[in-house]
Amino acid sequence: MSDELEELPLLETLDHLLDRGVIIAGEAVISIGDVDLLYLGLNVVLANVDAIIRTSKR
Amino acid sequence: MKSVVIGAHLLRDDVEPVATAIPVGDLYLSAVEVPDDQPVGDRELLLKVAGVRARLLEAATFVAIRYGLSLASPDEALGKCAAHLTRWKKVLTAHRDHVEMTLKVAAATTMLRPDRHDFTSGADYLRALHAAQQASNVDPAFREAADRLFAPFSVKKRWEHRDERSVELAALVERARLDEVKAAGEELRALSPAVPFLLSGPWPLEVFADADRE
Repeated sequence: MSDELEELPLLETLDHLLDRGVIIAGEAVISIGDVDLLYLGLNVVLANVDAIIRTSKR
Repeated sequence: MKSVVIGAHLLRDDVEPVATAIPVGDLYLSAVEVPDDQPVGDRELLLKVAGVRARLLEAATFVAIRYGLSLASPDEALGKCAAHLTRWKKVLTAHRDHVEMTLKVAAATTMLRPDRHDFTSGADYLRALHAAQQASNVDPAFREAADRLFAPFSVKKRWEHRDERSVELAALVERARLDEVKAAGEELRALSPAVPFLLSGPWPLEVFADADRE
């Protein structure tokens, strides 16, 4: 098995840990066009902009 | 010490002894206790939490909480989670025997990720980023095959644009039928050998933790 394949489960696990699940500390909602963007507290700074946009769509 | 939160659970026994159980209303948060001065972004902590999260899922399905939430006290836990408790209890009760599986598929059509340096407005950059994500799509034949193969054991399914390069099918499946899910993945690989994809799981309730909002 290559190193790349060995690293896949860990990368996928970390992707789910950092980029999925319920975001608790939503503090305010701002909108751009028809997309609501959640403003998040400092305790979720690990979430990236892409994830925030996806979450706001749900 | 502070508590780095992992998920919300129906029963205390679903949490202990794998993690610390923090009561919030009728439910329990799972958490890992760490020193106050340990950064949440610490690599070793991240790996430790990932391991605990996997062991918790072996015990029972739970609502996953995005990594990064840390709490100083049980009062703070209740304060931050109160608005979610009714929905979580409903979801946890309905899906106690279900887990999520993820099929991440390389996009057949993509749009280049916008370069933030090309924008003077943050709003314009976010719009362009969003447009690039929505432009990614999978081969229709692959999508049809995936929908068909996963339908028999999926309680719910949802396609999502994850980024500019991939699209993802999240499926809520019966925990007892995970072998059938893996077999479906192998059949999909045989049907579409040219399409790169990754089937992973089981995962806790991540995408389908928002049942009332669907």
